[in-house]
Amino acid sequence: MPKKISLDTNDILNSQQNKFPLMFLDKINFVNPGKNLEAIKNFSYNEWFFPAHFTGEPNVPGFIQIECLAQAFIMTFLCKKEFKNKKTNFYNISDAKFRKKIIPGDVLKIKASLKSLSRGIAQGYAEGSVDGEFACSGKFIVTIPSVFEKFIPNSSKK
Amino acid sequence: MNNNDKYDLSFTKTFGIIKQKLPELKYRDIKEWDSVGHMNLISTIEEKFDIQMQIDDIIDFSSFKKGKTILKRYKVKIK
Repeated sequence: MPKKISLDTNDILNSQQNKFPLMFLDKINFVNPGKNLEAIKNFSYNEWFFPAHFTGEPNVPGFIQIECLAQAFIMTFLCKKEFKNKKTNFYNISDAKFRKKIIPGDVLKIKASLKSLSRGIAQGYAEGSVDGEFACSGKFIVTIPSVFEKFIPNSSKK
Repeated sequence: MNNNDKYDLSFTKTFGIIKQKLPELKYRDIKEWDSVGHMNLISTIEEKFDIQMQIDDIIDFSSFKKGKTILKRYKVKIK
């Protein structure tokens, strides 16, 4: 049985290319590389977007929630040696759901799973909750250009 | 279902197009056959014919017609 590992902030920063102010994971509690993981993101009022979204009613914008989910999702494979620190591109986001207002002080717990990864195309799902209550989810297709482009007609040098 | 039907269905199902458009279809002729569409098509064909295509063949697979030639290398005969 594969060993479960945890990753701290520095491990995450060394595995993927999002940096401040667009890195939205604090810790990965555990990861089964190439399969699934559980990550957390702590939201404090010091987040850059709270003063603007919205004055007097700070809450996490939907696009940030999606980014949190996506960053957790890509870590299911970027934690593997062969994909470490590779650039990724969004290809498709579907079934995005937002069901809870996430406010300063909340901890978003994200469970992400990799359904498939073939020829530089990763497909999977991520779901976030706060205090055990469902908050957001989405299905993702992400490409790894450096892998993916090797398989495209007329774009590869033999 | 014979090999011709399986091959046609791989395209019509992946790209959501009608069979009549297939004979002259080339990579990037339609927006659905983009780079990711290409990977989906290859995966569908591999699944339907139970084969594993080589990288060079995936790159060369640039049209409906060309694909038939390539599949012969995997002992899949299509008219």
